[in-house]
Amino acid sequence: MGNYILEMDEIRKSYDGVEVLHGVHFDLSAGEVHAIIGQNGAGKSTLMKILNGVTARDGGTIRIDDLEVNYSTPLEARKLGINMIFQEFSLVPSLTISQNVFLTKEPRRGALFLNDRECEARTAEILEEIGAEGLNPREYVKNLSIGSQQMVEIAKALSSESRIVIMDEPTASLSHAEIETFFRVIGRLTGKGISIIYVSHYLREIFKICGRITVLRDGSRIFTKRVADSNMEEAISAMLGRRMVEKRVRVRRQEGSGDPLLEVNNLSVGKLIRNLSFRLHRGEILGIAGLLGSGRSEIVSAIYGVMRKERGDILIEGKRVGIKSSRDAIRNAIAMVPEDRRRQGLIMSFSIRDNLIFPILRRIRKYLLVRDRKGTQIIREYMEKLSIKAAGPWQVVKSLSGGNQQRVVVAKSMMSNAKILFLDDPTFGIDIQSKQEIMNIVSEFADAGNGVVFISSELDEMASHCDRIIILRKGEIVDTLDCTKRADVSEELLARMIQ
Amino acid sequence: MKARTSLGGKFNLNDYVVYIGFAVIFVFFSITLFNRGFFTGGNLMNITQQTTMISVMAIGMTFTLSAGEIDLSIGSVVAISAMNTALLLRHTSVIVAFLGGICTGVVVGFINGLFVTRVRIPSFIVTLGMGAIAGGFARLITNLESVPVDNDTFNFIFGSGDIGPVSVLFIWTLVLLILGQIVLRKTAFGRYVLATGGNKVSAIYSGINTNRIKMAVLVLNGALASLAGILYTGRLHGARYTLGDADLLLVIAAVIIGGTSLFGGKGTVIGAIIGSLIMGMINNGLVLMGLNVSLQMIFRGVIIIASVSLSLREAKER
Repeated sequence: MGNYILEMDEIRKSYDGVEVLHGVHFDLSAGEVHAIIGQNGAGKSTLMKILNGVTARDGGTIRIDDLEVNYSTPLEARKLGINMIFQEFSLVPSLTISQNVFLTKEPRRGALFLNDRECEARTAEILEEIGAEGLNPREYVKNLSIGSQQMVEIAKALSSESRIVIMDEPTASLSHAEIETFFRVIGRLTGKGISIIYVSHYLREIFKICGRITVLRDGSRIFTKRVADSNMEEAISAMLGRRMVEKRVRVRRQEGSGDPLLEVNNLSVGKLIRNLSFRLHRGEILGIAGLLGSGRSEIVSAIYGVMRKERGDILIEGKRVGIKSSRDAIRNAIAMVPEDRRRQGLIMSFSIRDNLIFPILRRIRKYLLVRDRKGTQIIREYMEKLSIKAAGPWQVVKSLSGGNQQRVVVAKSMMSNAKILFLDDPTFGIDIQSKQEIMNIVSEFADAGNGVVFISSELDEMASHCDRIIILRKGEIVDTLDCTKRADVSEELLARMIQ
Repeated sequence: MKARTSLGGKFNLNDYVVYIGFAVIFVFFSITLFNRGFFTGGNLMNITQQTTMISVMAIGMTFTLSAGEIDLSIGSVVAISAMNTALLLRHTSVIVAFLGGICTGVVVGFINGLFVTRVRIPSFIVTLGMGAIAGGFARLITNLESVPVDNDTFNFIFGSGDIGPVSVLFIWTLVLLILGQIVLRKTAFGRYVLATGGNKVSAIYSGINTNRIKMAVLVLNGALASLAGILYTGRLHGARYTLGDADLLLVIAAVIIGGTSLFGGKGTVIGAIIGSLIMGMINNGLVLMGLNVSLQMIFRGVIIIASVSLSLREAKER
């Protein structure tokens, strides 16, 4: 031993009696970039939280320089030289770069006063070290691009003696050019003997910059290999495991004819999506497969009118429509199941009935008054159709399980008599039965001559339910798969294509 | 009518606390102040009359708070609307003066709404500023002079009249209570208001124009504050810039005691009226007890903080 600066051994962790880490081993040598990969729920985040001191482990040992250490807060971890850079940046936008870099460890003059000059000078030094000398330490963080914020985040990690930097999905929100700069910074850090743990879904990047790779699946380590001794195929198979290959479940019943139901031409959203075009036909479930940060959510949000689009024509059944808000979208028979059901899909403090009444208000109105009884009747029908398990329409959605909450969101989208349905990761974090039932309902919806755009981080679900799949990489359509004609569409194929 | 604060149908003790509180305070004063004439028809009608203006404003505030906004300008809107109405009465008819008064509040509410929805300033800042501006105009308009009103028709309709044994103010309260309750509970607009306050993002995804809703509640709130100003004018046979200047706190307290959430998404018009009556009863009781104005003020402050604390405790439980 003795070659490693960090060794984690037999790490165990359970939540509510369910073990999510089954004795995981991980080691790190000085100046190494070591990738950890795995699907959602594989245990990556939990392992990193344990290393960072956010979460307490139930068992196992952590050794730094061959000495066993025990700590339980991020502050203690920092003292040991372990720093973490978060996916969602932890910077304060209203403070300057230097104030952020030295937050809680500001250089002082005497006991009381802050030494701003020293703080700025030392920030400038660190920025130069990582090759970001173009940034002014006095600039406010809110004025910075995402890429520059990332640099500040790294500078912050280096402002205390850092030996290990954990990076969680660091490139997801960066542009191509920013990623190149970022990789150069990583080179500089390792050159100084700093070790980096690189958690990411982007395998291409990992094979470019990492030395070793550890694959986790269902809370266990599958292997640790030198990148040179492995390849992407092997990594993907290890991540997915030898699970039962799910056959395509869906049989398309309606062949689209005539004008497409939805046609999108030259859509541009933000910096990421430029001149993107696609069509959705009647009776079709169209998948958009892409990694986090590929722009998949932005596409549907922009068409639905909740995100600003710079450009783009939207045609419904051959007719051009102007959609500036979700109201316009709903009026044009588009419905959406948004990504975040708690924040975007539901009003958590309202009952099922009061959440579901909005799409049908117009239909149950008589003169100015809402006919509650009629509304409740329709709502009961949909609750039954989607098998929402609740004491009754009066139950507050907050007290429902995740699966049932999601069923309410799906019911809400279907009740508006939409012809086009956008589903943004509708099965995230819900039980298997709910997943299957929701997908069945969506399938039925398409079979009735409607169209569905389906986004999911569960690629097996896309492979088994979509009629056609668009492959999206950093805002660009790189391929389109016709699943009704190809027999080889599988989770594995998709996982490889979106890389 | 059923007393539900959330739209839910299950029995929830928290929704009924205000009624229990009302009963307890009523019984308490009836017993302790029996000899001082609390429990007499005249005094009870007196309480209702004194409370009407608070009730009218509380209805508007219920909508505003339900939508997740607040309006701190209502005290000054009362004053400027009262002044405008009284001045208009010198030259024009009752109906024009009435409409002119209401328009004052509508304009203030509209400006509040513009800043909240277009410039995106939080409503408590905008309305605080507008309150100062409107209050300044109320003083400027006659250079601090009060304006007497001797139009008997106006005074009868807007505060001083009685129909049989019933004061017109009582009728105003009752009519607005019923209208307010129906609009909040039984119309699409009411649902949109609660949705906007309950979760703005989700409301937008549901296709609700939340900006329009915010604008509407602020205009409605302004209009009802104006009506309160007009009622003060009719009851006191004149307007003064001091009208309404102590009412803001009472109105907010009444609405929150009634069961409306300070954070939006939950509101009840009936509760707000009961809350107003509780505030009125306490005021009346304190006077009958012989407490001086300073002590009344202190006591009122304590009650407001206590009642809002209770409502926040409930919010945390959610």
